[in-house]
Amino acid sequence: MTTATSERTSIEHGTIGPCHVGPDSLIDIKRQQTNPSRWKGESWSAFAAALCDFGIELRESVAARGTFATDAGGTAYGLPHGVVIARSAVQVSLLLKAAQQHRVPVTVRGGGLTTEGESVAFGGVLLDMTGMSRVLHIDTEALTVRTEAGIFWHSLAEELRRVNMDYLSAPLNLTSSVGGTLGVGGIDVNSPRLGCSADQALALQVVTPTGDIVECSDTHNAELFQRVILGYGQFGVITEATLKIRRYTPLRMHYFYYDSLRTAIEDMQLLNRNDASDYSGILTIMDCAVNLLVAFDSDEREAAFKANWQPKLRGHGEFGFALRMALRYALRPWKLGEAWFLFKRKRDIFPEFRRSEYLRDGLMHDRTVVFSRAVWKFWGSKQMVIPDLATSADKFVEAVERGNQVCRKYFPHYTLYLVGIKLRPEHKPHYEMSCIPSDAEGWAYGCEFEPMIDGHVYSRDHLQSFKNAIYDIGVELGGSYYRFGGMMKGYIRRVFGDEVVDRHLAMKRRADPAMILNREVIF
Amino acid sequence: MFGFIKNAFTSRRDHADCSGCSLCLLVCPVWRQSRDISLTPHGRAKAMQHGDAVDAASVESCTLCMACEPVCPEKIDQVGMILDLRRLQAPTSARDELQAHMTGLASRPVASRPAASTTLLPDSALRAHPDTLARVTILLGDKNISVADDDGSDISQALEVGADIPAQCLEQFLTPLRLHKKIIVADGLLLRHLKLWLPKARIASLGEALSGHAEVRRSLRTTDLYVIEPRAYHSDYQRLVKHYDRLRVNHGCAFNLDLQRIAIPATARNLSQRLGLAAHDDEAHARWVLHGRSITRIVVESLEDRAAFEKVSDIPVVHLAELADGISDV
Ligand SMILES: Cc1cc2nc3c(=O)[nH]c(=O)nc-3n(C[C@H](O)[C@H](O)[C@H](O)COP(=O)(O)OP(=O)(O)OC[C@H]3O[C@@H](n4cnc5c(N)ncnc54)[C@H](O)[C@@H]3O)c2cc1C
Ligand code: SF4
Ligand code: SF4
Repeated sequence: MTTATSERTSIEHGTIGPCHVGPDSLIDIKRQQTNPSRWKGESWSAFAAALCDFGIELRESVAARGTFATDAGGTAYGLPHGVVIARSAVQVSLLLKAAQQHRVPVTVRGGGLTTEGESVAFGGVLLDMTGMSRVLHIDTEALTVRTEAGIFWHSLAEELRRVNMDYLSAPLNLTSSVGGTLGVGGIDVNSPRLGCSADQALALQVVTPTGDIVECSDTHNAELFQRVILGYGQFGVITEATLKIRRYTPLRMHYFYYDSLRTAIEDMQLLNRNDASDYSGILTIMDCAVNLLVAFDSDEREAAFKANWQPKLRGHGEFGFALRMALRYALRPWKLGEAWFLFKRKRDIFPEFRRSEYLRDGLMHDRTVVFSRAVWKFWGSKQMVIPDLATSADKFVEAVERGNQVCRKYFPHYTLYLVGIKLRPEHKPHYEMSCIPSDAEGWAYGCEFEPMIDGHVYSRDHLQSFKNAIYDIGVELGGSYYRFGGMMKGYIRRVFGDEVVDRHLAMKRRADPAMILNREVIF
Repeated sequence: MFGFIKNAFTSRRDHADCSGCSLCLLVCPVWRQSRDISLTPHGRAKAMQHGDAVDAASVESCTLCMACEPVCPEKIDQVGMILDLRRLQAPTSARDELQAHMTGLASRPVASRPAASTTLLPDSALRAHPDTLARVTILLGDKNISVADDDGSDISQALEVGADIPAQCLEQFLTPLRLHKKIIVADGLLLRHLKLWLPKARIASLGEALSGHAEVRRSLRTTDLYVIEPRAYHSDYQRLVKHYDRLRVNHGCAFNLDLQRIAIPATARNLSQRLGLAAHDDEAHARWVLHGRSITRIVVESLEDRAAFEKVSDIPVVHLAELADGISDV
């Protein structure tokens, strides 16, 4: 016992030590030591004094630290020793230099909307990037914006809309930050056409783990750019970003209802393959009511869809689907509980998408606000368990159907959110060891499995078993995950294999000799 | 001797329910200026969840614009939380003075039975402009409206600083109000509390009442920026968001609303600034309201906002009551 403990604490961060779990505890699963040691605060006071010398404000009160004790997932808890609000690239650079010197872990946090603890600090300093939230320049001719990277996408949208512009794509939650999203992906309902948010970045200002302030893009310091985009904060702190933007357009929305996941997915993929819509995604109430959302930026695109593609879709309109459901449950009276739940859910959710202040002349304005508010209202809570799977197009139906069975087994009620991501061949180097599965061509597809906690209390083990059961499907199908860091880093070697992970680890060691930056996330 | 009225709402949820979603940051003027989470509802709720005291600076910084309430998915009583924290804080001289004033007013005279069916409670800015006040009363129907002698401004100040309001004092303020069919209130913080204290009364903000007037509406132009007074708007958000949306549809003017249809304050003053202990810094807020807009006139509901805009732009600013052509200058 004593030997095991001393072995555990002496393992250097980022290396793979022996497994401390009984060898027969998980049969057939290759075990790796992934969480060798937690930092114990050895050189904290020297580090704090260095920050003080640099004039950097370090907050060490319980209130300041407690604010960041968990992320949106609410299942990983940890306290930093102190918090610094990011104010400039120079300040971040000084902080990282001191952290390298004193070997103090730095956890970077944007909106903190991770759900596996990726943005939770287990000791060390937490760098709150939201302090860097200014929009620096909007170019309405070149259609670009330069912004500080701690800004929430919604705050960026507020500024862009004053000049009738909009960002291209961002997560549907309002409070994820630009920097945090470029590091993990960023999926929107226009991702089947435009790719993920990370694909919209043209150039970045990055502070490397050793404190250099570097500008990078696909043509300038390209290797750093490739590693930082979709890099889970391993290779630098993104302090500024240049992003593509576009003119603002309201949406022409269409909803199609299915009672089969498979049929709905096939129809969505048909639309994506044929570039038949500007937006598409699937949102479900369990596997009973499957809603394919299709939307357009222009009347022309909408007319072309109506003429060429709508007749090919097998979904129903709202009224037709309601009739089908009525018939279905009339013939299955023992499922009336399920019918009542569907009815209640529809009654609560639908008006939220039809609020008159967002609908004008049949067009939906500010879709991100409409969707995000609904997300927080109907799915948000202090604990959010949202495991996901990302696969190539041809494995997607199987992934979703298997994941759906897992949801049915663990929870009475749940939601699935499915969306495609258009891949950019020239961005292949960005995608390595990321949420984009290595075998995906053309499009990758992602599905989130979100149980409705509904005030129930589930044990941590129950929630973890559920997540593992979903994540195991990804291993078996050779897929990937949108949230592959933090508490689920044990899966990283299983999905990507030793060769890829060791290559990235070697790069990380070169870039971050003391392994201080976001050290609990991946390696 | 007297029972004391707690300034908090009890039906809503408290800091323990905060999920940390940060949606309140997006609308908070203090966050916009400071980018410091400790000065926001999120920061305060998390501090309390960890059993720590909330910083006095944070409690004082809040402008009570109430924008964070309608956006909070957990329906946390943000304003009640701030007012409670102010009440619990070490007393300041300003609060002591108000407290003594309130206790002295425990037996404030009860107003006589009103002749008019509607009463108007002006705020101090409106009282300071008798011409505008006169135009307001004419517009709202001269004969049917009386301007309340006791407009509750001391009660509003007591709420703002966290002084307790003796129950008898409050009752004497409320008794005559109960006799009116309709109460029109210029002070948004008072309006919020009147809705709680008089749940059955018909209470409207001054902005809603004036903007409902046909002649005022007719005078709105598509190139106007209409500036809603945030406190009143947010305290009855679900209903008023529709009211102002109808105005937009019918008259085409722009509003000081953000993409979430939350009112952006043009004057956002913390406690010291409200009490006149520190200088205002309204300019940054007013500038952000105007940023990127092509407008030819600013129409304000609150006279406080007029001064803020006049400092930062040359665009003419008018009060709603000055819009109606039919009323000659009084
Ligand atoms: C309710 C809800 C809805 C969601 N909806 C969507 C959705 O529709 N689409 C989608 O794609 N995702 C969605 N997500 C996931 C979430 O939006 C993403 O994880 C998010 O984009 C991360 O951004 P963030 O600012 O919150 O990053 P954080 O959670 O703060 O950080 C993410 C990672 O990046 C690192 N990091 C943060 N900022 C920086 C920086 N400036 N430089 C370097 N590293 C940094 C952190 O250390 C961490 O490892 C949702 C999550 C929730 C809780
Ligand atoms: S909006 Fe409400 S739940 Fe969300 S962080 Fe703010 S106070 Fe907490
Ligand atoms: S009331 Fe206004 S200033 Fe106070 S916390 Fe809420 S949004 Fe911020």
